[in-house]
Amino acid sequence: MAYEVNLEHRSAKVELLNRAGNKVLLDIDGHKYDVDIAMVEKGVYSIIYNGHSYNVELIEGDSSKKYIVNTFAKTFNVEIVDAESKYISSRSQGMEAEEENSVVSPMPGKVVRIPVSVGDAVTAGQTLIVVEAMKMQSEFKASHDKKVLEILVKEGDTVNAHQLMMKLE
Amino acid sequence: MIKKVLVANRGEIAVRVMRSCREMGIRSVAVFSDADRNSMHVRYADEAYNIGPAPSRESYLNIEAIIQAAKISGADAIHPGYGFLSENAAFATRCQDEGIIFVGPDPYAITTMGDKIIARQTMIAAGVPVVPGTTEKINDEEKALEIVKEIGLPIMIKASAGGGGKGMRLVKHIDELGSSFRRAKSEAMNAFGNDAVYIEKYIQSPHHIEFQILADSHGNVVHLFERECSIQRRHQKVIEETPSPLMNPELRREMGETAVQAARAVNYKGAGTIEFIVSDDLEYYFLEMNTRLQVEHPVTERVVGVDLVKEQINIANGNPLPFRQEDLRQSGHSIQCRIYAEDPDNNFMPNPGLISHITEPHGLGLRCDGYVYEGYEIPIYYDPMITKLISWGETRTEAIARMKRALYEYKITGVKTNIKFLEKIMDTKDFKDGKYNTHFIEKNEEALHASRLCGTECEDMAIMAAFIDFLTKMERIQPPKYTDELGSNWKDFGRKRNVLRL
Repeated sequence: MAYEVNLEHRSAKVELLNRAGNKVLLDIDGHKYDVDIAMVEKGVYSIIYNGHSYNVELIEGDSSKKYIVNTFAKTFNVEIVDAESKYISSRSQGMEAEEENSVVSPMPGKVVRIPVSVGDAVTAGQTLIVVEAMKMQSEFKASHDKKVLEILVKEGDTVNAHQLMMKLE
Repeated sequence: MIKKVLVANRGEIAVRVMRSCREMGIRSVAVFSDADRNSMHVRYADEAYNIGPAPSRESYLNIEAIIQAAKISGADAIHPGYGFLSENAAFATRCQDEGIIFVGPDPYAITTMGDKIIARQTMIAAGVPVVPGTTEKINDEEKALEIVKEIGLPIMIKASAGGGGKGMRLVKHIDELGSSFRRAKSEAMNAFGNDAVYIEKYIQSPHHIEFQILADSHGNVVHLFERECSIQRRHQKVIEETPSPLMNPELRREMGETAVQAARAVNYKGAGTIEFIVSDDLEYYFLEMNTRLQVEHPVTERVVGVDLVKEQINIANGNPLPFRQEDLRQSGHSIQCRIYAEDPDNNFMPNPGLISHITEPHGLGLRCDGYVYEGYEIPIYYDPMITKLISWGETRTEAIARMKRALYEYKITGVKTNIKFLEKIMDTKDFKDGKYNTHFIEKNEEALHASRLCGTECEDMAIMAAFIDFLTKMERIQPPKYTDELGSNWKDFGRKRNVLRL
């Protein structure tokens, strides 16, 4: 069965043709790869292809299908698209506007200050919330003129990465 | 004689200090906050005491709790490391009052050097060159304007209580002066509770070079040469090296003597650092003194061959320095890279998290001062620095090559780090040529943020690893075969039969 694998903006068709232990035969976008691939340490893959040795590190993203992949030269966001993700993405067309309406913490941290309250009209560039992590404060600002709909955290709260903190309208 | 040292710090520096203690046969005591129960320094120490909740203010900055831990453990000395209470005169005084040796200078030196205006006055009196500017605090804008006319633009307005890159404002145009002045004052008030500011000439394309000092209580003061710290981001150092590519023997001797003079001016005792700002044409000025061990001390240790923590403890014991200035020399070249848990592609945003895997580099000419391990979760409350990599080589070229090799070997997953960013710095022409100043990262921004070439084959390897990992995971979560429920087949049979009978 062929899968779609998204690497940044590239979408590749990947099919597993044969697998016997570490020996794997794969087809990526029509190119056949006969490789020896092994997870040598947790999250670290060693791939031997045509006598070349590659090291690839994986960091699992927020779902089991998403990865941050480090190659020697570059870091990529990689997503495996199976039937389930296809279904979800087909339903979430037009979700982008929604993204603009939510303030999400990109990292774990602590809420230092919330200078706005529910119902406030905010202008583009206005600070909505200040989060501190590792001695550095980050200000989250409104991208457009909006209204504060809901605040889901309070000052002093600890937040996780990707946690929704505020909804706008 | 010191027999037990409490280390009032955390992270790599706490482990670093305890290592020297262990070598000297001194017992070490760790203190830790609630967030640090699993931290390496707690595991490494002979004794460990909880000193309060996660925020630094309530634990690592809590003088009372630390003194309590020292008393309970019977520690006869406290080593403050860097940051936290290391430059806090009240803490040093408190240790004195409690009869505990503070491994560091007297409160007098800390106070004098901690206030930038007083430090400037003291240095001028000692004949140490300071950046042209005022020696008193400036209260009104008219006075500021007068000064600017005298020394010329651009200038820096600095908070007297500031330091470490905080509380500074650059003024390039005369019409910015008023607003910048008012802002600097209010910022200083907010950040340090003291609105005293002064004005300094802004040195264009500056180099940040510092001299390591050791001073004992018998009046001996030596310097252990320079460290070049010009590679900075957000006014924080990223890479340090010694010898400085900018230095020549004549200038080194002169600046070294000046540094010793500066330390003598405050009756300094212990390990300290005199920071200078050096212009492209090799004019140098005193910037500030750090009255503690520096993050970048290992490059000096490697090149000069002196364990600075050991010397700090010797000095605290009242022993004279075991060497004179003429016994000290620099051998080879050493570079330090600071590895931060941060995202260089996203304005160096800190990136705390769980270390799912780590392999630190080893091998000839390499030192790795870190504290994280597999399965450790980096707390959100403290500094994002996780490791210091220190390379040594006979020549600068060899030290760079070795650092590149070490960065290649360093594998860490779970958190984003600046490792690739550091690798790119090692490849930058300006760095390789040793021709750089504090504007290095700005100047080379494009090259440092450019993605390196990863062709189709390299991309395919990334896809392959993720894909195979995904498949392996899927296999693992396939529902298990119901071998343990075999017996229930009889039940099913019975039920079916009952149904059929009806």
